[in-house]
Amino acid sequence: MSVFNSLSNRWTSFLLLCLAVCSLITPAVMVKHENFKTCAQSGFCNRNRAYADNALSTSKWAAPYSLDPASVRFDKGVLTGTISKKTTTNEIVRLPLTVAFYESGTARVTLDEEKRQKGDIELRHASKAKKQRYNEAEQWAIVGGTTISTGAATSKDAEKGTTKIVYGPASKFEAVIRHVPFGVEFKRDGETQIKLNDRGLLNMEHWRPKVDKPAPEKKEGDDEKKEGEEAMAAGSDKEMAEDESTWWDESFGGNTDSKPRGPESVALDIEFPGYEHVYGVAEHAGPLSLKETRGGDGKYSEPYRLYNSDVFEYEMDSPMTLYGAIPFMQAHKKDSTVGVFWLNAAETWVDITKATTSANPLSFGIGSSVTTQTHWISEAGLLDVFIFLGPKPQDVIGAYTELTGYTQLPQQFAIAYHQCRWNYVTDEDVRDVDRKFDKYKIPYDVIWLDIEYTEGKKYFTWDPMTFPDPLGMNKQLDEHERKLVAIIDPHIKNEGNYPIVEELKSKDLAVHNKDDTIYEGWCWPGSSYWIDCFSPKGREWWKGLFRYDKFKGTMKNVFIWNDMNEPSVFNGPETTMPKDNLHHDHWEHRDLHNINGMTLVNATYDALLARDKVEDKHHVRPFVLTRSFYSGSQRLGAMWTGDNQAAWPHLEASIPMLLSMGVSGFPFAGADVGGFFGNPSKELLTRWYQAGAFYPFFRGHAHIDTRRREPYLAGEPYTEIITQALRLRYALLPAWYTAFHEASVSGAPIIRPNYYVHPGDEKGFGIDDQFYLGSYGLLAKPVTKEGQEGQDIYLADKEKYYDYFDFWTYEGPGTVNVAAPLDTIPFLMQGGHIIPRRDRPRRSSGLMRYDPFTLVVVLGNSGDAEGTLYLDDGESFDFQDGGYLHRRFSYASSTSTLMSEDLAASTGKKTKEYLKQMEKVRVEKVIIVGAPAAWKGKGEVELSEEQGGKSSAARKVALDWHDKEEGKAAWAVVRDPGVQIGSGWKIAFP
Amino acid sequence: MKAVVALLCLHCAAIAHAANGESPRPRGVGPEFAKFYKDPSTFTCISNPSTKLPVKHLNDDYCDCPDGSDEPGTAACAHLSHLSPHTPADVSNAEANSTLALPGFYCKNKGHIPTYIPFTNVNDGICDYEVCCDGSEEWEHVGGVRCEDRCQQIGKEWKKVDEARQKSLGNAGRKRKELVNEAKRRRKEVEDRLMTLGTEIEGSELKVKQLENELSEVERREKGKVVKSGEQKVGKMGILVGLAQQRTNELRETLERTKQERDASRTRLQELEVLLTTFKEEYNPNFNDEGVKRAVRAWEDYAARDKGPEPDAAHDRDLDAMVKSDKDNGLDWEQYQDGDDNEADVSYTFVSYLPSFARSWVDQKLRDFRVTLIDSGILADNSRSSGSESKSITDAKNRLEAARKDLETQKKSVDEHDSDLQKNWGPDDVFRSLKGQCISTDSGEYTYELCFLEKTTQKSKKGGGGQTNMGNYDRIEMITVDEEVPADGKGLGTGERWALKYENGQHCWNGPNRATTVVLGCAEVSEIWKIREEEKCIYRLEVGTPAVCVGDGAAVGGPGGSGKDEL
Repeated sequence: MSVFNSLSNRWTSFLLLCLAVCSLITPAVMVKHENFKTCAQSGFCNRNRAYADNALSTSKWAAPYSLDPASVRFDKGVLTGTISKKTTTNEIVRLPLTVAFYESGTARVTLDEEKRQKGDIELRHASKAKKQRYNEAEQWAIVGGTTISTGAATSKDAEKGTTKIVYGPASKFEAVIRHVPFGVEFKRDGETQIKLNDRGLLNMEHWRPKVDKPAPEKKEGDDEKKEGEEAMAAGSDKEMAEDESTWWDESFGGNTDSKPRGPESVALDIEFPGYEHVYGVAEHAGPLSLKETRGGDGKYSEPYRLYNSDVFEYEMDSPMTLYGAIPFMQAHKKDSTVGVFWLNAAETWVDITKATTSANPLSFGIGSSVTTQTHWISEAGLLDVFIFLGPKPQDVIGAYTELTGYTQLPQQFAIAYHQCRWNYVTDEDVRDVDRKFDKYKIPYDVIWLDIEYTEGKKYFTWDPMTFPDPLGMNKQLDEHERKLVAIIDPHIKNEGNYPIVEELKSKDLAVHNKDDTIYEGWCWPGSSYWIDCFSPKGREWWKGLFRYDKFKGTMKNVFIWNDMNEPSVFNGPETTMPKDNLHHDHWEHRDLHNINGMTLVNATYDALLARDKVEDKHHVRPFVLTRSFYSGSQRLGAMWTGDNQAAWPHLEASIPMLLSMGVSGFPFAGADVGGFFGNPSKELLTRWYQAGAFYPFFRGHAHIDTRRREPYLAGEPYTEIITQALRLRYALLPAWYTAFHEASVSGAPIIRPNYYVHPGDEKGFGIDDQFYLGSYGLLAKPVTKEGQEGQDIYLADKEKYYDYFDFWTYEGPGTVNVAAPLDTIPFLMQGGHIIPRRDRPRRSSGLMRYDPFTLVVVLGNSGDAEGTLYLDDGESFDFQDGGYLHRRFSYASSTSTLMSEDLAASTGKKTKEYLKQMEKVRVEKVIIVGAPAAWKGKGEVELSEEQGGKSSAARKVALDWHDKEEGKAAWAVVRDPGVQIGSGWKIAFP
Repeated sequence: MKAVVALLCLHCAAIAHAANGESPRPRGVGPEFAKFYKDPSTFTCISNPSTKLPVKHLNDDYCDCPDGSDEPGTAACAHLSHLSPHTPADVSNAEANSTLALPGFYCKNKGHIPTYIPFTNVNDGICDYEVCCDGSEEWEHVGGVRCEDRCQQIGKEWKKVDEARQKSLGNAGRKRKELVNEAKRRRKEVEDRLMTLGTEIEGSELKVKQLENELSEVERREKGKVVKSGEQKVGKMGILVGLAQQRTNELRETLERTKQERDASRTRLQELEVLLTTFKEEYNPNFNDEGVKRAVRAWEDYAARDKGPEPDAAHDRDLDAMVKSDKDNGLDWEQYQDGDDNEADVSYTFVSYLPSFARSWVDQKLRDFRVTLIDSGILADNSRSSGSESKSITDAKNRLEAARKDLETQKKSVDEHDSDLQKNWGPDDVFRSLKGQCISTDSGEYTYELCFLEKTTQKSKKGGGGQTNMGNYDRIEMITVDEEVPADGKGLGTGERWALKYENGQHCWNGPNRATTVVLGCAEVSEIWKIREEEKCIYRLEVGTPAVCVGDGAAVGGPGGSGKDEL
């Protein structure tokens, strides 16, 4: 400022003018904060924060919720009862409580409101909205894991005023329910892990009629409601004056929400005693380990927000909402992970604070000093919370994904490289890009079409000028087993002579406005309507649109991208739909907003299962990419982190964001490689490909105003380095695919943060810039900073780590520095693993189907190693009939033997056929990194194969041993063992 | 079926070799490498002679040689490339030369042209007929794929196309000659014109000199007219008329300028209003962009306001009439000025009573005397201080000015013609004959037009919107291309090609000024082959024209071409 002061006014204004002009020329790339609410601008968030401030400001706070002991019943693993809420006017509101205990060890606490449940309320404005609290979120999110526990039982030794349930594996879990005020403590092995309503912030805004008061209650000069102020005042008052200003309607950005049901928010405090780190509540652009949100140095002052939105040019390190919502949180401390899942589809805010306490005398000497306190606030719906007690990260994630579903096992092409751009402008353009990739020997599997392929943004049509021959284009792609992904969004253009919109209207399948007539808004095509996929009829209709005879120009190698499904409405409040819009069955949009995106993907997924008579019988696995998501979306396809920017901080942020998705049960995630907005420098583009090669979903994408940046355009040395990164991804596809398989049966993340792999290593709990690939001990830390030539990698355990590319040897624990010039990805192999690869470069992953395997055996300190391989046809559902192979490779130093064992859970009617098909596929090479010196000079290994249940005669093959060079590992190669990948075998080393 | 790629010279040589090959070569080995595969017991890696293998390791689908030469017939060594990520265990010897020793898998393609296919494509389950028409690269039949030999059919088709292509290229060569002749003719025209201009300029210079002399003589004479325009002596009327004329001229000029300015502003305003109307209609209320919304609202307000009087044609006609010269409006200032002169002359009539020799003597003396006085500063120089110059001086000046202008024009013309001769018109000046020729084609939603050495344009077929200028011709360059050539020969191929650069076209919203690079390949008729928007509003046209053909029909390339270093 002083600089400016010293300058003359004229000079200053000149500078300001320059600044203004500059900002016109290069529009400052920044999120428009004014388009999105802060907590203070969101009535229910503000009310609940004020409620919390009030409760926490006094030691005398008595939470007005109590469980009537007489109402408590426990029957077959389910406890029921009624909670009474005493209102400020001393009325009693009855809230039915259910606490269910599931076989998996998961507990679920559900609270409803009797009056609303019975429909015993009146709506304002003659609204036709449903009267109940939204109770259908589970129909969308929950697909399993809800078998009621038979072992759960009430315990006799409950303290007075509490009810105690013992449940879970080996009955090690307890739920202690305090009656007055109502609260629950969840314990594992006698130790409290999670507390509900310990701070008394439980709040369920009950229904009440609107009473028009003669004069506003506001005090003089208090025109603007100030955060917490009234609540504070109320605290001292006997009669609490609640802030009613946002009960009945609320305006933001020129849109008014009519709120026909009045205030109805639900909130609860959830405490994790002794837990310093919490993860989850994706999606946000911030660190993996969540920050505190009530202000202070380096902390956020806004809560984490979950309200699926099309946030234009989103900012880094922010609790601001993004495109998707997963209200699942894990808390982690040394050797213990627990979690909660807040099943609510309405707008939700989560406040996080951490309290440092001296060791709790009741916690039997567990010396954790930090407790994480969270405050969950949703605008409407039930209070419905699931409790997971761990103790391992995978136990929590596994239990959560058992409920919400495991990630889809994608087709193999879907985990290879995707080339996207807004837009490939003609079918000839697509063909040209396709040829160019071959010409430059760069592998790719999928090319994408953004909205411009349509005729005037009318989905299910092709622009006849620019895409006169879509089938010819698709056939060319198919020649090399490549695919096309075309975008289909939920907004349907409101224009005459467009059969789709005519059907949508005549069948009344679109979302309605608050007056229960068709809702019209603006999106890409201009005036549009939105398909309501909550409606069974709507979904059925949507399914039919994708049939090959309906969506002409598509064929079996065409898949779908669902964008803008938050939904994005350009002229709507916060770029989405008004909350008082009505969906199927008259649920308000407010009730189900965060699930909306998932319903569209669900319908599209179903549509792709049956596009003609052949496919009706023999399904191929669908591929759908979505931008908006909710708990459960992982079952349906992939997500990406939306419209990022071609800037280094966005590359850096992509890693914690994807790690967060991984531990949130939705690991099939990626960020736009290269950055969507803007033009990346060649260095940034190259580094982004090196990082992208480790994104579970790996797609290059670019905005329409950017320069072309297909990898072959970068020029040398960049194109060459990018090609190496792509080929590395392709070589490791067997490992990736196996990791995806693991995710599809256990919910395990595909790229894994340090805390997940090393849950006992306290130093690593905050690390989110490096990660492990699957269960292979492959540790990557891509360079995300400009000009950086070296990378510090944190090694958590006492183990050997080898550089993937030159076998340089490191020893943990500690931080090591790895050289990382532009052509190098910092990438290590942890000792003790066996990594399957396919080294032959091909044009697409489909053309690698019959290529032989290379096994990399990485020997660490123990001298043992193991690894698995899952393989199937990569496209059909035959694996469900046993059409797959699943092997476990293990090397035991005690016997010096490498073995392949069958891991397949069971065989099915397709097993034989598949194994026969893979008969000729062999292991062409075994590389042993860290090979024992004893092998020196021994030129052979002996191998035997399982044939028809018996061992074949042993045969000998050559072993090349290579002595270690300075700093590097010794290594050996078994030359062409020739053993089948799908059968049992044994290799005896000298 | 895809188009057959024409791979020419390398393979002509290969055919020759194949003819005299005697012993069967291992699978995938081309004739030029046959010599490395003759030893019946040991194989020596081609670029790593220190590595020797038993012959059974040849083509056993395991990569032994650091240069991959032991696997000419499989994909086992396909990863030996700087494009693949490498670890020490990928090559058996880190120090060894790990560049692939072979160009690829050799497809004999009997009945067609033999060729190499990249090792990455061997046994991948895809019949790459466009390279390997005999399907021999899929010898392992992975996944049950069987690639029949299609060389007969493909070869036949190719020959047909090739013949047509050769013929067409022959024609192209002839057309080029015509173009070159035309260019020569045009060049000659320019040179001739230059010659003529030289003579004309000499004449003009002479004329200018004469007129300069004439003027100074007239001025000298005028100085001598003692009373001419003397303040007291000249009639008030004369002064008034002079001033009026001057003032009228000033006013007329100003009016004219103002009108021009007004017309320009009006056009710009209209343009802006059309632009904003389109903006309002087509803008996306995208992402609640406040800036855009504000602009639209402001425009709506503006559009709703009363815009003042509409342009009035009658008024304009009046204006036009007013700016016409006074003479056209029936006012002849000269009449009044001449009268003035006469009036002044009256005072001197006494001289006319003298005998003619005396008269001229006196007159001369008087004038001389007066000039002396003026020159010595005793008398004021009325001829200069006066507002109205004498007509004879003005006339002389005008004549001189006209002559000077002519000379200037001629000189400029010389410069233009000179630079025209200096300019790079491509090989043999050939583009001279293309200048102004236009060709167009439809692509996607646009019709593209290329006018050689003038401009490139784009016009939407979707109706509405005029032509968009994609760049004005700026210069010729050589650029390196690497494109496929389809069977019909309509492609650029590989190497250096002539390119016409068009710059500074219409500005692109959210982007640069449009620009186009027109890359030229040889063809019988000028036509646009391919249009690509390489990046936002930067276009590349691949264009065939006989202008860049060489004798045998291939595109002219290489720095050897004439005119490369010009400019």
